[in-house]
Amino acid sequence: MSRPAEPSPPPLRHYAWTWLALLALLALTAGSAFIPLGAFNLVLNLAIALAKALLVVFLFMHVRRGTPMIRVFALAGLMWLALLVGLSLTDFVVRFG
Amino acid sequence: MSTGSSALPVDAGRSGGVAGRRGGGIATRPAGVVEPFRDAAQQADAATLGMWLFLATEMLFFGVLFFAYGLARAAMPEAFAAASRETSFLLGTGNTAVLLTSSFTMAAAVRAAQLRSHGTAALLLLLTAVLGLAFAGIKLTEYGLDYRHHLVPVLDFAFDPRLARGALLFFWLYFTTTGLHLVHLTIGVVLALTFAWREWRRRTARLHEQVEIVGLYWHFVDLVWIFLYPCLYLVSRT
Repeated sequence: MSRPAEPSPPPLRHYAWTWLALLALLALTAGSAFIPLGAFNLVLNLAIALAKALLVVFLFMHVRRGTPMIRVFALAGLMWLALLVGLSLTDFVVRFG
Repeated sequence: MSTGSSALPVDAGRSGGVAGRRGGGIATRPAGVVEPFRDAAQQADAATLGMWLFLATEMLFFGVLFFAYGLARAAMPEAFAAASRETSFLLGTGNTAVLLTSSFTMAAAVRAAQLRSHGTAALLLLLTAVLGLAFAGIKLTEYGLDYRHHLVPVLDFAFDPRLARGALLFFWLYFTTTGLHLVHLTIGVVLALTFAWREWRRRTARLHEQVEIVGLYWHFVDLVWIFLYPCLYLVSRT
């Protein structure tokens, strides 16, 4: 039942690459903001923010190496947030939409 | 059945009365493992799980603010675009880079703690705290600029009258979200300094678990900023 006491942590260069990828994505989102793309600016900004978040969650916060239970807990937060936003939106869409 | 003379000092103060009965001996636990847990791995999993549960509540805490932002921006897109142009692009972008870098040093600190390189972990935690303080310093400088540009609600807010209502709402959200983020960051800096000290003094046998938890908190604060940055600074720069 019990797992080995501790898995050995990933090599430092994995974290360094993640960091460089995060800075590259920051440069991309900051640079793209000055190119007029209409609504696509917003889409691009949000997509890049999501990509950065996934890098941090999976690699820095170790969800990739985490137990299934930890993944469930991380997803539970998102699920409650989706419920909160989704149910609130029904109100706004019906009244003001 | 005794826990043995090789037992490392554990932080008995934190585990309260339970720790007092340890060694009364139902089962032999490895050093640094407290009562309800069977072994170090189970204990570390439970600690990580508890932190993720807390972070789930934090997601809701910040989530509603992002939701409010989305509704207001959808209702007043022009005002939000104009208001966002008044924020400092350079300071905001530079600060994002500082915070992303601090997440890297924190990840490296957690790694050093897992490898039991106490000195390295202490230095990396200290560096993380310094980067956190640099972020706070830049943010406060920005608040100063915002004040001089009459962007602070209540104090002396002044904006193009056609867009003032939406811009006022934008800056309420700006100060609320960045302010709450700054509070979280300050707590993170205190935690990082505390554990830098404990790593330096090699305080307890559970230190690597605790540093991992501090790391999760720090990365979460970084995550909030990752979404705040485009919402506040990049609405309309073209």
